[in-house]
Amino acid sequence: MFGLIGHLTSLQHAQSVAHRLGLEEYAAQGLDFWCSAPPQVVDQFTATSVTGQSISGIYIESCFLPEMLANRHFKTATRKVLNAMALAQKQQAMITALGGFSSIIFENFNLSQLLQVRDVSLNIERFTTGNTHTAYIICQQIIAAAQRHNLNLSHSTVAVCGATGDIGSAVCRWISYHLPQAKLLLVARNHDRLQELQAQLGHGKITALNEALAIADIVVWVTSMTQGIELHSDTLKKPSLLIDGGYPKNLSTLVQHPDVYVFKGGIVEHSLDIPWQIMELVEFAKPSRQMFACFAEAMLLEFEGWHTNFSWGRNQITLEKMERIGVASQKHGFRPLI
Amino acid sequence: MLVTALEFQSAAYRDAYSRINAIVIEGEQEAHDNYLQLCQLLPDHQEELQSLARMEDRHKKGFTACGKNLNVIPDMDFARAFFAQLHHNFQSAFAQGHVVTCLLIQSLVIECFAIAAYNIYIPVADPFARRITEGVVKDEYSHLNFGQVWLQKNFAAVKQELEQANRQNLPLVWQMLNKVEKDAQALGMAKEELIEAFMIQYGEALNDIGFNTREVMKLSAMGLLPV
Repeated sequence: MFGLIGHLTSLQHAQSVAHRLGLEEYAAQGLDFWCSAPPQVVDQFTATSVTGQSISGIYIESCFLPEMLANRHFKTATRKVLNAMALAQKQQAMITALGGFSSIIFENFNLSQLLQVRDVSLNIERFTTGNTHTAYIICQQIIAAAQRHNLNLSHSTVAVCGATGDIGSAVCRWISYHLPQAKLLLVARNHDRLQELQAQLGHGKITALNEALAIADIVVWVTSMTQGIELHSDTLKKPSLLIDGGYPKNLSTLVQHPDVYVFKGGIVEHSLDIPWQIMELVEFAKPSRQMFACFAEAMLLEFEGWHTNFSWGRNQITLEKMERIGVASQKHGFRPLI
Repeated sequence: MLVTALEFQSAAYRDAYSRINAIVIEGEQEAHDNYLQLCQLLPDHQEELQSLARMEDRHKKGFTACGKNLNVIPDMDFARAFFAQLHHNFQSAFAQGHVVTCLLIQSLVIECFAIAAYNIYIPVADPFARRITEGVVKDEYSHLNFGQVWLQKNFAAVKQELEQANRQNLPLVWQMLNKVEKDAQALGMAKEELIEAFMIQYGEALNDIGFNTREVMKLSAMGLLPV
């Protein structure tokens, strides 16, 4: 069995979901209530591969809300993630993906130092950030989006915003290897990390955000947190393609211009319906088939019997691993959303 | 918030400790007495219940030593008043032979409350109390929860009474937590953390007994209602 750990996008979203689920007592509560709410297994389902193989999974709602970070309730946020992981392990999930902000919280707050959760010793080999598959899917989306808009990638300028993050650095590695002719712009806040990345890649130009946006044909937006960086269409080159690999995916509402084409980055579509109810609440166009690529990674690891933390730590994603998860992704019927 | 070694001896810490320590001692005493009384309702399980009562008594002695170690005199009057309503509900259910309600109060509410609070306390406890509390928690995890097992075996027959008993007693937990919020905070334990740990423990217990996730969520929400 595999597990998915997810959360809702805002307090308002949480209240409306509680209302839709008929949990009126919860719908009336404010942030304090969610700060003390325990994680719940809110869905159980079977996923089937195009090979015919079936696996069962659970969806755990961690009760984390982004407002906890915004209000600096960091300890609460970390507890939500650890408690959800402990629940996944108690439910005997062999591999569990940390969705949304969960993996970012795990990484940024060094939760690998806090693996004893009451009577549960977390076995981190049973968890994955899913970032390898997300990075792979974003790279496939770059190719597909360029084809759709007749853009020759070899002569294009690609800006990776959030280049030093786990997903961003993997995308940069992939572009450096597969598109050596493309002009790669590295954008991130931490200059030391940028220089380190540039040295590793032997490729790419460290560029300030606005400068990069003004000249990039393709912008890959993979910043890990929305910390005061705002994107507006007037700062972007026209025409340009914008791959929104951040979380939550709100660039299509923030950036509205007829010559800026926004794609939901890191989202896959499965070839077969998955009979889960919970995704109805996540507002995808086709909730029975579309999902975050990180969730799909847990499914792929379960299909393949790779019960290991395939994606873990920061900047450990290799081209070989992206290739390997990509082959599994296609084999089991997942496609990048375009 | 971590309590520094110096603060364990501060007047403010010891003042808060006099009430929290008393609650813990009283809680173990209540548990001891409740298990002995349950022997009368469940004579076939007398031996097991007596052994549980002895365990709770050992825990009480351990926590009494924690207070002595900090030169704190536990405020037992406060603690008895703190448990009064729950105590009353148990005695009233016992008098009517309502074993299901008695087990919900003892094996679910009191036990889950205790384990949750001990788990939150351990990282912020003074070294002496930490060792004692770790031993108690280990004890609690090492035996199956008697009430949970019994209620699970009889789930179909007891479900309705459990729901009523939950409605009657869960709001008390919230009320009790509110009464000690400041004292717990002085010891480094946040109320939201205590509620969360309790709800995890309580929800797991209800789930094991036979309630599904949605029922558990509905039952948990009862805690938010007025007493």
